[in-house]
Amino acid sequence: MLKIAVMIKQVPDSQDISIDPVTKTLNRSMARNVVNPPDVNATEAAVQLKDRYGGEITVITMGPPMADSALLQLMGMGADNGVLVTDRVFAGADTWPTAFTLASVADYLGGFDVILCGEETTDSSTGHVGPGIAEFMGYEQATYVHKVEYENGFFVVVRDIEGAEETIKIGKPAVITITLNANDPRNPTLKRKIAAYKKGVKLVTNKELQLDPACIGLKGSPTIVKDMKTVPDPVKNPSKPGIEELDKIVSVLIERGIVK
Amino acid sequence: MPDYDAIVVGAGNAGSAAAITMASKGLSVLLVDRSDPPGAKNLSGGVLWGNDLAQILPKWQNEAPLERFIQDKKIGFLTDKSSIIIDFKTKIFEDNKVGHTVLRSKFDPWLAKKAKEAGAVVIPGITVESLAKKDGKIIGVEESGDVITADVVILAEGINPRLSIEAGLREPLQDWEVSVGVKEIIKLSPQKIEDRFNLTPNSGMASEYIMGNLEELNVGAFFYTNKDSISLGIVAPMEQLRENGITHTYDIIEQFKEHPSIAPLIEGGTVAEYGAHMIPEGGLGMVPKLYGDGYMIVGDAAGFGFSNGLVLQGMNYAFLSGILAGETAAEAKGRNNFSSDSLALYRQKLEKTYVLKDLKTFKDIRKVTGNRSMYTTYPKMLESILLEMLWERGQPKKKIREILGSCAADLNVGKLKTATDFYYMYRRM
Repeated sequence: MLKIAVMIKQVPDSQDISIDPVTKTLNRSMARNVVNPPDVNATEAAVQLKDRYGGEITVITMGPPMADSALLQLMGMGADNGVLVTDRVFAGADTWPTAFTLASVADYLGGFDVILCGEETTDSSTGHVGPGIAEFMGYEQATYVHKVEYENGFFVVVRDIEGAEETIKIGKPAVITITLNANDPRNPTLKRKIAAYKKGVKLVTNKELQLDPACIGLKGSPTIVKDMKTVPDPVKNPSKPGIEELDKIVSVLIERGIVK
Repeated sequence: MPDYDAIVVGAGNAGSAAAITMASKGLSVLLVDRSDPPGAKNLSGGVLWGNDLAQILPKWQNEAPLERFIQDKKIGFLTDKSSIIIDFKTKIFEDNKVGHTVLRSKFDPWLAKKAKEAGAVVIPGITVESLAKKDGKIIGVEESGDVITADVVILAEGINPRLSIEAGLREPLQDWEVSVGVKEIIKLSPQKIEDRFNLTPNSGMASEYIMGNLEELNVGAFFYTNKDSISLGIVAPMEQLRENGITHTYDIIEQFKEHPSIAPLIEGGTVAEYGAHMIPEGGLGMVPKLYGDGYMIVGDAAGFGFSNGLVLQGMNYAFLSGILAGETAAEAKGRNNFSSDSLALYRQKLEKTYVLKDLKTFKDIRKVTGNRSMYTTYPKMLESILLEMLWERGQPKKKIREILGSCAADLNVGKLKTATDFYYMYRRM
């Protein structure tokens, strides 16, 4: 029996967002919210672990009240419980207070054998939160993982490292971050979604957690965005160097007789 | 004991209206929609007329995400270089505020939320795979090998009713039954919209055109104002598109946008969204059997839409058919009888309202909307007449009768043909 948590985030669908050229901020007004795609892979990894080794899965998200739809979707895939961490005081958090708050929630829920996360979010791409939770919890960790086995109290995981794979064994409890497309996530089913709807999600606020206001939300965020620059769309503006490189590659291929 | 009193498939206007009606009458209701948030894939090219919605949600005008109330309604003809438009702007619309432009991607999730508040279990993001049948009766829905049962299933699955067709409850769609609507949403600041169309911050304009500048197809076009965007699009009969084979809908919408009367109205705007959808235009001829043992069909899935070339409506038919099916289900629950005979009440209710009355009244309208002269000859004729009457060219003036005669001759239209066309229009519109 594994006690499994999956930390997930609702993000604006990246297909629908654009960058405001004047304010340089993301224009999310046209975007619908979706579960951060690698978090869906993390949930699938959790369901596969449960299928093979038995266990109970809790999906956890920090976000506004409407984020409950993300939890219900993942409960529809096979997660048993949903926890929505929602409180105005958590708003505006960067990765440090986010990891701190989520670690505190995991602790509040009695800790887990394994906490799965997506490798990073599509709306900020830091990859900080998973490792941050591991550090706050004092858990072992493995990042960028696409395969997880559980053997004799250890997790054997296969990591994607640039151009290669690395298989490592880590102890329990652990935080494992799962790559996008690590697996083929199952669809939620109607029956499970109805059950999830009936069960509902558990709400956790700072009343329960009692975290120091200086360590959470915007106040607890050390990141300051100094400037943002937009780069021209590479598709609309094909850069000259790229084409020269391509010419070079083609001429080398012709030289070596690989293409004619 | 079934899992629910009623399952509604599809959270569009018809489905959510049915769910709200039944849940407020105490029935246990499951409302399932394929997209999350519910209804997010829905699209419309018209104005929402809310008289029926007010039956179930009296405060809809204050609560719903509406864009602008229609104060100004235009209908007209476009030719290559001209537009002939009737501009109907009335204080009556302003006093009643019943017609509104809406963006369905905002409106439908709101309506589904109302169904949830009324007590329905609303499950978005699930595509029902098939209808569950037992002894010839519809007993529920199937998904991922699970069967969820109900006394009655209300099919609100939209214009492409896959479940109904697969279960043999209706024939597959025929080309003549539908038109293809292609729509764009063009972002424009509220200030520009209000200046260009002479509107106030809440008032809006909706217009519908016959595109007389397309030789080969009977195409209608629409154009209306939202808060900070314009919705515009074209509607072309599937049958003609298929027959023609070379004209693409995206070329037609471009032609509409480039028309000298339309282009200045969207100048400086950027395309934010585009979409396409089928529209029921088969009239009474495409309406299937609307009920049977354990099921009822509502909204677009039932072919409930109205089009006479200048007026295009469907959302009001969706609300009303959903409400009536919901009422029928509640009454059937009271009798504990969900057989075909018991649900026949739904059809009887529809017969008493404009839903089936309109379809009956205009059952021959396709002879008008299908008449190519309406789209090609007559707009040009109107243009010639107006040129003769309104353009000073140093020529002696003619009497209207002579103008009519010479225009008809120029366009090679027989007087008898024109007379019969107008007679039919008069009879059928």
